Amino acid sequence: MSAQAGTAPDAGASLETRLRATARSEWIKFRSVRSGPAVLLATAVILPVTAWLLCAYYRNSWATMSPASRASFDPVFISLRGIEGAQLFVGALGVITATGEYTSGLIRSTFIATPQRAQVIAMKATIFAAVVWAWCTLLSFAAFFVGQALLSSPAKHVAIGDPGVLTAVLGGGLYLTAVGVLGLFIGVLLRRTPAALAALFGILLVLPVAIGLLGGNIGAQLAEFLPDGGGEEIFKLLHGGAYTLGPWQGFAVLAVWVAAAAAAAFLLVRRRDA
Amino acid sequence: MMSETMQATTASSGRRAAPPALLRARAALCAEWIKLRSLRSMLVTPVLAAVVCIGYADFLCWRFTQRWHTFDAANKAGFNPLDTNFNVLVIGVLFFGVLGALVVTNEYGNGLIRTTLTATPQRGLILAAKTALLALIALLWSAVICFALFLTGQAILAGHIPHVTLADPGVLGRVLGAIFYLTTASLIGLFIGVIARSAAVAMTCVFGVFLVLPTLLNSLQGGVWRHTVPYLPPNLGNALWLSRTGTGSLASPTVAALGLAAWVIVLGALATYSLRRRDA
Repeated sequence: MSAQAGTAPDAGASLETRLRATARSEWIKFRSVRSGPAVLLATAVILPVTAWLLCAYYRNSWATMSPASRASFDPVFISLRGIEGAQLFVGALGVITATGEYTSGLIRSTFIATPQRAQVIAMKATIFAAVVWAWCTLLSFAAFFVGQALLSSPAKHVAIGDPGVLTAVLGGGLYLTAVGVLGLFIGVLLRRTPAALAALFGILLVLPVAIGLLGGNIGAQLAEFLPDGGGEEIFKLLHGGAYTLGPWQGFAVLAVWVAAAAAAAFLLVRRRDA
Repeated sequence: MMSETMQATTASSGRRAAPPALLRARAALCAEWIKLRSLRSMLVTPVLAAVVCIGYADFLCWRFTQRWHTFDAANKAGFNPLDTNFNVLVIGVLFFGVLGALVVTNEYGNGLIRTTLTATPQRGLILAAKTALLALIALLWSAVICFALFLTGQAILAGHIPHVTLADPGVLGRVLGAIFYLTTASLIGLFIGVIARSAAVAMTCVFGVFLVLPTLLNSLQGGVWRHTVPYLPPNLGNALWLSRTGTGSLASPTVAALGLAAWVIVLGALATYSLRRRDA
């Protein structure tokens, strides 16, 4: 009883002070994890190099492409396709940001220092999202400009001012951030690195392949409600085919998946042991 | 008397200092076997692999029997019962790659690897023991999975639509090819794990190599791509069980089997070098 009374003044620290302290400790943890800079560097290689490889290939083979494949050629999506590789690394970084603390046992100190667990998780996700968003948006623009510089006439190319292009390029950064945050919340939910990675990659990469094997219309109809199939619409310029969702509706599908993982994480992190 | 005791002592202490190679190999195998069978992911991953592969392959076959009447003549002519049955291996291979990666990264994760390397300083021997045991387990388990999904899948197709049996020409070879692919995938996962030393990096690499690389690169066909893309491990592996080989982006089955073996040997050499040179 008296112990509780003694800690009362601490617990009564103003919300602002506590949030600032949590933010600072989460920032220190984020930047002192060795895999952080390595992953961010890896994405900085993957995005422009994939744009360079793919766009150079399509410029050289443009003359031999059929009219149908020329019509369905999406210059923005091809420049940004490196995102499909980079999402592995960004998603894994999100997972490790959460599970790394459980593996090392640091999470127990964190929760003793800040018993408001939801605040810790929220601040962790916010700092992660801010860093990843800034970096990946930058890389998305870099990949776009590398790609468009290579796709010269007669190959189809676009300028950043053309309708829908800016949304798509900004969308590349948003998509990667959302994938990373999804990984972070799955990490909080599962608490173990291999299990969380398997779950994230399963939802993100394996489910679309599994549904693709179904064939027929049902495969395409289900695919656009997966985080990968729906979310990718945001960095495409051409929509349609079997897909019915526009860029922001597609991104909303991904956002709903992230929100569901977040809700489960916030609920369970308060109930369970660390 | 005295000299006899002396001799006996030196002999026994000499044996303790340098046990015969055969004994050491057996001890290493025993140690690795205990670690393997007490690993939880060693139970979870293979069970999941069997449930997903056999269950989903049977479901896909059943779906084709249901949709058969909606197919036009071209679709019916293009239907391949063996490919339909084995398509699920595009996913199944991931379980085997991850299994191999977890076998070794688990030890790095909990620090047991330092005990292992202290107990058996012959690091090459440890890797050889791990490789042998994993290859044996993966071979047996992938054989169970491949034959089970083939036999159940074709049984579901039979009676409704075209199907094949093991006696048909080329079919047994493709089932064995699928088993070979899954086994080599687990070894590739193991060697990636030894090089990466962390579960997160190794699993990311396994998914990257077996799932993302083919998605990104398989649409590229001309020039330098024609001579590189077919030799990615997943494309080599798929060439072993897909019926349409030797065309487009797939190598012939013989080339594919040799290519996969080459990947295993090269990655195995890199892993041995990395394990012997670096800290644990």
